[in-house]
Amino acid sequence: MMSATARPPVLHLEAIVSGYDGLDVLKGVSLTVHAGDFVTVVGPNGHGKSTLLKTISGLVPLRGGQISIEGQSLSGKPHETAMLGVAHVPQGDMLFAQMSVLENLLMGAYLAPDKAEIKRRLDEVYTLLPKLADRRNQIASTLSGGERRMVGIGRGLMMGGRILLIDEPSLGLAPLIIDQVYDVISQLSKAGRTILLVEENPARVEDLADHLHLLDDGAIVWSGKPAELMVRDELLATYLGG
Amino acid sequence: MTDVLMAILVAGFTSGALYALATVGLSLVWGSMGMLNMAHAAMLTLGGYVAFTVITSLGLPIALGFAGAILAGAAAGAILYFAIVRNLLKNDKSTFEANVMIATVGVGIALENAILLTYGGQPLKQPVSIAGVLRIGPLTLPWQNLLIIAVVVVMMVAVSLALGRTRMGRAIRATAQNRDAAQLMGVAVNRVYLQVLMLSGALAGICGVMVSSMTQLSPPLGNDPMLKAFIMCVVAGLGNLPGAVAAALGLALLESFVQYALGARWGFPSLLFVVIAVLIWRPSGLFGRAEIRRM
Repeated sequence: MMSATARPPVLHLEAIVSGYDGLDVLKGVSLTVHAGDFVTVVGPNGHGKSTLLKTISGLVPLRGGQISIEGQSLSGKPHETAMLGVAHVPQGDMLFAQMSVLENLLMGAYLAPDKAEIKRRLDEVYTLLPKLADRRNQIASTLSGGERRMVGIGRGLMMGGRILLIDEPSLGLAPLIIDQVYDVISQLSKAGRTILLVEENPARVEDLADHLHLLDDGAIVWSGKPAELMVRDELLATYLGG
Repeated sequence: MTDVLMAILVAGFTSGALYALATVGLSLVWGSMGMLNMAHAAMLTLGGYVAFTVITSLGLPIALGFAGAILAGAAAGAILYFAIVRNLLKNDKSTFEANVMIATVGVGIALENAILLTYGGQPLKQPVSIAGVLRIGPLTLPWQNLLIIAVVVVMMVAVSLALGRTRMGRAIRATAQNRDAAQLMGVAVNRVYLQVLMLSGALAGICGVMVSSMTQLSPPLGNDPMLKAFIMCVVAGLGNLPGAVAAALGLALLESFVQYALGARWGFPSLLFVVIAVLIWRPSGLFGRAEIRRM
């Protein structure tokens, strides 16, 4: 496998600042995700993890710094960011509640070039997440929390983008379901997908992530390999409550 | 007695079909944009007058009159988007609903007065009409009512297919259900808003032709259907299209029965009674969800 530096950067953030109303939530975050990388940002609740992903995808406006995908600066408009290959699986799933599972997945392929490509992606998603094929005609609002999360991931995969942004996939799910969700994410990573994931619990990604960043109060305070963080008791205690 | 019942049913279904057309246009805009288009009545009137001009003044076939009404309504929707809605969307989203409602009241008044200045206040006869009746045994069905019901059914099926089967329709429904998620999928929501206003305007245009074919053309033509369409939207639950059609047909039948049983003057109060009752017992409407989307 090529080293990270030998592989081209898919996503690059340079000192980005963003927030809501008059408050800056992100205060100069810089990070790079290379092709095929699984990068995770961990940190306590309310310190900017979701805002980071929303800023990349354009849902929260960028106030300073720069975001680029394969060297191309983002416009800040969510639909144009999606066109550049950023697939965002947001927190809380944000499914189209009155649409069926299939319609939700098809919305993921809204920008797909043709029907053959849509079918190829759909087959891929159904292979990875066979339960979605069984539930294809079920209305999204009637699904369980775990099923909704799978539809959210499936919809992100249907986008066929260059990078998959996943926001706290374990949030609100039972431990058994969390294991299933992470099993799917692990398969995606092994298949070579470029992933940027945010998560509150670093233990969840210890064996999965290539790189890990610790985000606290809108700034990255530590970066390294997951295993390195897990032995830094003072960091775990200070930033993640032990 | 059967004749009377049939007459009530035919009148009710005809009114219901017209109300459904007006209601769906209004509901579509509210459901996807959170925008109450108070200029909808004037767009409806515009459609009626454009069809009249195409058929009477230009001497073109009735089909082109319909096409003209559709195009004029769609163009009015596009102008409304570029002149008003697009600019209001750039401002604070939390004030959009109130601002756009006030702005479209102004647009409606201006358009109605422009029609008054152009055509005068005298009622005009809409040439889109078919004389005679269809007799099936003891039943007597006026061709004009059948034409209206047929046109509305065709329009409803077309709208239903457009929303359910096309990429544009999926984008409209996705935007209505979750605007942020739709953007993440690559949907340009501003383009969706333009499409929705044009589609709603086209429906208003054709509704104007149909309403004026039953009555007469006059500048305030759209006000009565718009008011009733708004009542039906509220009864159905704002933004719910199938519910809007069901409410339009149900309330139109109720209005017809009340007018027959109690007198014409009780028709409209009966609708108001229903809407008040619904607002008390089911504020989100008979078919609406408790949670409604905001900009």
